Amino acid sequence: MIETAERALIGCVASVDGKPVSPTEAIYEAATLLANSRSAVVAGLGTDVAGARASVALAQAIGASIDHMDAGAVFANLDVMRRAGWIVTTPLQTRTRADTVLLVGDGLLEAWPEMADRLGLDAPPTLTGGARRVFRLSSGTVPPVGAATILPTLAALRALVAGRATSLDEGAFRPLSDLATALAEARFGVAIWSGAELETLAVEMLCGLVDDLNRKTRFAGLPLLPPNGAEGVTQAAAWATGFPVRTGFAGSEPLHDPWRFDARRLIASGEADVAIWISAFSSTPPPWDDAVPTIALVASGTAFGTSPAVVFEVGCPGRDHDAMLFDPALGGIAFAAASARRTVPSVADTVAAIAAALPQC
Amino acid sequence: MLTRLAGGRVIDPANGRDAVGDIWVRDGRIVATPDHASADQTLDVAGCIVMAGGIDIHTHVAGTNVNTARLLLPDLRAGSAAASVPVSQTIGRLYAAMGYTMVVEPAISPHVAPQAHLELSEIPIIDTAILTVLGNDDYLLRLMANKESSAAIADYAARVLAGSGAIGIKAINPGAAASFKANVRSFGLDDAVPNSDITSRAIINALQAATESLGLPHPLHLHCSNLGMPGNVETALATMEAAGDVRLHIAHLQFYAYGKDGPRGFSSGAARLAEAVNSRPNITADVGQVMFGQTVTVSSDVLRQFNARGQAHPRKSIIMDGDGNGGGIVPYRYRKTDFYNAVQWAAGLELFLLINDPWRLFFTTDHPNGAPFTAYPDLLALLMDRSLRAQHIETLPKDAMQVSTLASITREYSFADIAIMTRAAPARLLGLVDRGHLGPGARADIAVYRPQADLAAMFRDAALVLKDGVPVIRDGIPVAQPFGRAVAVRPGFDSAADRGLAAFYDSIYGVPHTAFDVPAADLLGRTQPFETVPCRT
Ligand SMILES: [Zn+2]
Repeated sequence: MIETAERALIGCVASVDGKPVSPTEAIYEAATLLANSRSAVVAGLGTDVAGARASVALAQAIGASIDHMDAGAVFANLDVMRRAGWIVTTPLQTRTRADTVLLVGDGLLEAWPEMADRLGLDAPPTLTGGARRVFRLSSGTVPPVGAATILPTLAALRALVAGRATSLDEGAFRPLSDLATALAEARFGVAIWSGAELETLAVEMLCGLVDDLNRKTRFAGLPLLPPNGAEGVTQAAAWATGFPVRTGFAGSEPLHDPWRFDARRLIASGEADVAIWISAFSSTPPPWDDAVPTIALVASGTAFGTSPAVVFEVGCPGRDHDAMLFDPALGGIAFAAASARRTVPSVADTVAAIAAALPQC
Repeated sequence: MLTRLAGGRVIDPANGRDAVGDIWVRDGRIVATPDHASADQTLDVAGCIVMAGGIDIHTHVAGTNVNTARLLLPDLRAGSAAASVPVSQTIGRLYAAMGYTMVVEPAISPHVAPQAHLELSEIPIIDTAILTVLGNDDYLLRLMANKESSAAIADYAARVLAGSGAIGIKAINPGAAASFKANVRSFGLDDAVPNSDITSRAIINALQAATESLGLPHPLHLHCSNLGMPGNVETALATMEAAGDVRLHIAHLQFYAYGKDGPRGFSSGAARLAEAVNSRPNITADVGQVMFGQTVTVSSDVLRQFNARGQAHPRKSIIMDGDGNGGGIVPYRYRKTDFYNAVQWAAGLELFLLINDPWRLFFTTDHPNGAPFTAYPDLLALLMDRSLRAQHIETLPKDAMQVSTLASITREYSFADIAIMTRAAPARLLGLVDRGHLGPGARADIAVYRPQADLAAMFRDAALVLKDGVPVIRDGIPVAQPFGRAVAVRPGFDSAADRGLAAFYDSIYGVPHTAFDVPAADLLGRTQPFETVPCRT
């Protein structure tokens, strides 16, 4: 099995305790750590679909749990979706049909720098034609209502759209009232937000607003999804386990608990005694430094506070190697050919090699 | 290696065989009884029933809508065997345990085909295929608005089939999803998409024509308009009439078998539909039987799902204004005490029992919309045992049974009927010449059942299942977990169609038209390439 791993890991750069070693030694060291662990967590999960599959399979094999480095943003959206449901659309429908666009929050450009261009926000809807009106609901555009967060503003806007009384003062009432009128006049409106920025209650309020607007016209949400492959990993985890990340595999059935299987909590509490940290898109070190022995699968050039027990450099999906990836402009998982192909193992190759080196139980 | 399945009752309607005898298998295929050779391995199946592996032509097992249902309903525990939307791994194992060796996921919009194929690639043991959904897609509507030729539409359909790795074309309430984006709230056969003269009827006929001119083995697979509505039996009858003499497959016919009779204005119209199917040889249908219990409805009929949101149980739902059809996820519980649900249950069984040609009627629950596929064994038992049906009828609301003919029907399915409906006919409908039968040359996909008084138990846990000649199930338990193939058609098309599509995607969507193409099998994590089903010439 080890020889197979060696072949699969051509171009592998690995180290143990900060010292360069052969791939074979690194795989052996990683497998030994996992074999001797009582409870492991596979975290970070900044990877493509193949990496997610391999990681879930490894976690299932050793009874570990899985988490994603951007799980906070994943659940800001998902908690709303699975509590109340929602009405959503795709980037292509936004580009082709949205005559009214509501941009919510200050973090959209950060979540998707090419958003305005890819959605064609400065141009008419490409299919339905006519004008496109774009409204911004951010700290600089609408007077804040009550508190510093956007939630009370969204609540007031929802009340105005529904024709309910509000206690807004004149300065806040006029612009919000105008906005409410504009949203109700939409023929196909789209509200865009980023789960990385908005708190869950604000997402829920916004989705409620979208729902209300559908009583008379058509409106849909477009959640911008977190980075580091989070959506592809969420989807792959769902079809493989029935759940998103923050799911454990120690029992006979997968167990999903966003509080319990938060990797940072598992490590801080001592419940996890070994971690696998995966970050193939960004040079992000594990946030717990050396609080627990860590097997790091990371992009080249990642700087660590303390050297992890084992480090493997892995390729960037879609750049260094072909990958199936969630693409924000397409709104779905699609094939991404390597843009600058080089010989470096993928997360999937590396995780599979570790799994193959584990003692059979 | 030469394997002999010895002494079972071989029920192989495609080859006119129903007798005790042997089946011989070499290198994954069924072979004629050898003259002299002796078997390397003999599997004693004396006293058992031997059929080809089952083929499910309509089951929602993959894609973004199904996966969203898993994410929406963590309480339904998709990871468990009892789930209404089980995970990929469980789907393969549970289907194989029932003796199924192939399933067709019938509702994949072209833009979500890559994810669907990734999900299918993780379904073990059984073979899989998808139908690609057209009929609400912007480009088809553009071609029709521009009065492009039927050849241009066929070329486009061929390009989409190739890009999405599909075995056939499905239309789901054609025109309705596009219209819903323009705030249309109801859409029938002769309604036109706003700002055009394109009716649902015209789209159906255009896609039928494309299917026939490409020589696709599978007829156009249609989810009609007005699903679930009282009186929609008229819609189904009008749709059959609209098909003319051209082949048409109507999906989950039960959901269109509703009249408006009776004190509550809701009745079974199944008898009328059955009569229509019986008299129209160009029509095939699957039933979409309702069984009682909690499930989740997963449909690309986004308009219908939007209108059904009020019936959600638990009370949450998802509406996706997607590219093409999009879809909706509405959890639902079919209750034995509910008048409407009981009528639905009866109407489905009436269709099974009153449509007299098992070669044109297919066994489905529209998983998970009528019930999860795990209810199949119980449904098979109901078809084969009228006393069991009578027992169930006793427990249902009397007023519901009064608006259905079910109680008066005495027909019982034979094993041969079951073998046709779930094996021979599906293979024929999909153009799979080496599946659905047990003659020489067929794939050795074989299900062996041990007869017992409890028919459902017999069908739930097959005594033995071979996939490509390899034992994969023994007494309902997986003993090997190979991965099957994905099956698709690859009709040719004029490259001009591809250029037109490329220009449309560039200008309208701002993305390359190849962006959603399903890559080669190995890039999906498959160990075997796609299997190509030839088109009819
Ligand atoms: Zn269906």
